Amino acid sequence: MKTKFLYLALGLLVLAFMLSGCGTGMTPSSWAGVTTDGDTAYVALATHVYAVQVSNGVERWRFPEKPDAKKTFFAAPTLTPDGQLIVGGYDRILYSLSPSDGSINWTFEGSKDHWIGGAVVGNDMIFAPSADYNLYALNMKGELQWTFTAEQALWAQPVVDDTRVYFGSLDHYVYALDMKTGKPAWSTELDGAILGSLNLGADGILYAGTLGGSVYSLESSTGKINWQHSLSSWIWSGPVLGDGNLYVGDQLGMIVSLQADSGKENWSIQPDGPVLGSPLVLPNEVIFGTESGSLVAVDGDGKTTWSQAITGKLYSTPVLAGDFILVAPVEGDGTLIALDQNGTQQWVYTPVK
Amino acid sequence: MWETFIVTPLTNVLLWIYQLVGGNFGLAIIIFTILIRLITHPLMAQQIKSSQGMQEMQKSKKWQDIQKKYKGDKEKLAQEQMALYKELGVSPFGACLPTLIQLPIIFGLYQSIMRALAASPMQLLSLTRSLYSFFHISDLIPLNSHFLWMNLGQPEKLFLPFLPGVGIPLLAIVVAISSYFQQKLITPPSATPGDQGAAMSKMMAVYMPLLMGYFAMTFASGLAIYFIAGNLVGIAQYAMLGKLDWKNLLPGSKKAEVKPK
Repeated sequence: MKTKFLYLALGLLVLAFMLSGCGTGMTPSSWAGVTTDGDTAYVALATHVYAVQVSNGVERWRFPEKPDAKKTFFAAPTLTPDGQLIVGGYDRILYSLSPSDGSINWTFEGSKDHWIGGAVVGNDMIFAPSADYNLYALNMKGELQWTFTAEQALWAQPVVDDTRVYFGSLDHYVYALDMKTGKPAWSTELDGAILGSLNLGADGILYAGTLGGSVYSLESSTGKINWQHSLSSWIWSGPVLGDGNLYVGDQLGMIVSLQADSGKENWSIQPDGPVLGSPLVLPNEVIFGTESGSLVAVDGDGKTTWSQAITGKLYSTPVLAGDFILVAPVEGDGTLIALDQNGTQQWVYTPVK
Repeated sequence: MWETFIVTPLTNVLLWIYQLVGGNFGLAIIIFTILIRLITHPLMAQQIKSSQGMQEMQKSKKWQDIQKKYKGDKEKLAQEQMALYKELGVSPFGACLPTLIQLPIIFGLYQSIMRALAASPMQLLSLTRSLYSFFHISDLIPLNSHFLWMNLGQPEKLFLPFLPGVGIPLLAIVVAISSYFQQKLITPPSATPGDQGAAMSKMMAVYMPLLMGYFAMTFASGLAIYFIAGNLVGIAQYAMLGKLDWKNLLPGSKKAEVKPK
């Protein structure tokens, strides 16, 4: 008899353990997505989207007001020219919020999976990548215009020019679609999954980083590969362009500068931990965050100008808001930290529960 | 420790099977479940043997007599029961010890499946760090999580052309039914029907399959595949050991009541 009770208790224990492991509540599914208009920073992290005043780190509003375990947010919110804040949730809903108070304008519920990458706006259209393999094109009222299906999940924010939308997929392909129709102009296979955003230069050259550890330069008109440069490890985020050079980090913690026109390496350094986010390129510096919690500023010659230790892991890309650099650490003391451009901490925002 | 010795090796074996079967993750889960069940089969056999020993002992006249004699004195009853365990060479923990040893493997199996599915950036980061060096990450990621009509990283629903907009949680139904069959087929007749333990067993036979079905409906369908494979392999293991009680499946059949020897 007692044995049966013991089995029952064990069975329930197993189920409880399994259930706890199934949920997303134990560990976050991703890291914060941060966007800013210079005055307000919008942070998508776990159960809320927070609007935080850049000048002093004071919360202006949060969405939803009360946490709902079914609603979690990690995709970087997108500000539209007509005054909307577009943010996708792990509840499969794409929300249009009012940037002033966080109220809902409309929702789009057509996705069958999470929204991991942020949306982009071009020609009065919203292009939203979903983990359900689809790129959804919506008008500014959230009405579906067309859908394009890739072979695998889309995790990164697309980029646009006047006529096309470009994005990478976990299926190893970079796609170029006609904005109006969603018809593919071209697709080019790279050597690994593309987790980060592409970078589109003013000269019409696209740059991509892959989990295969390569940086690519492609012609946006044809998809032809100009050059490929291999790094020592996997690349999680897209390379960023600045002054004719590309800056990118990899999972082994290498920070590399490449010549954008040839892919030739200018320099590389290895500060103190894996670099998962894209860098923030400033006029005289490039700022990288590392998993070890260092925010590292490097000049054009690859010399470290300053380094600031942050409590937590820096996976998100640092963001410039006015004069401040904003970082959103994982497992850190705060949700959003503002530093001046010398790396001195100005304020820390931690949401009140 | 848990990561290094349980979850990481199991994840790598699962992905190794995945590559071996040509990138079919559903098939890899099924083969992986069978493999793990085969490896832990001796433990399961030991558990069944010990359970049977306990059952036999509880059917014995001596046990029944002790229950009656010391009904009002729990301390004495426990002492006498322990003495009987010793005398008959039955360990009260003999049945649950193998289960306890299997538990970490079951947890690890489940965690490795969830990790391999890598449906979010943090999970993918965790997966990339779990992989042994012989894997070429570019070839492996993304995993093909499609199996039959399912995306194994998502809860399953079958949409039929004649039922537009209505998704049937087919896999959850199969999980519930297979769990019910397994429960019914492997539960031996109670030595003391009508007591609290037997009532609990009956309750478990109903609620556990429902609970498993609920999990299968709510969480990634890769987990449901694992549940179904585990249930079917479990039934097969009991069948191999000749311990299935087919009569339990017949409608209206009552479990044989055991008369004290």
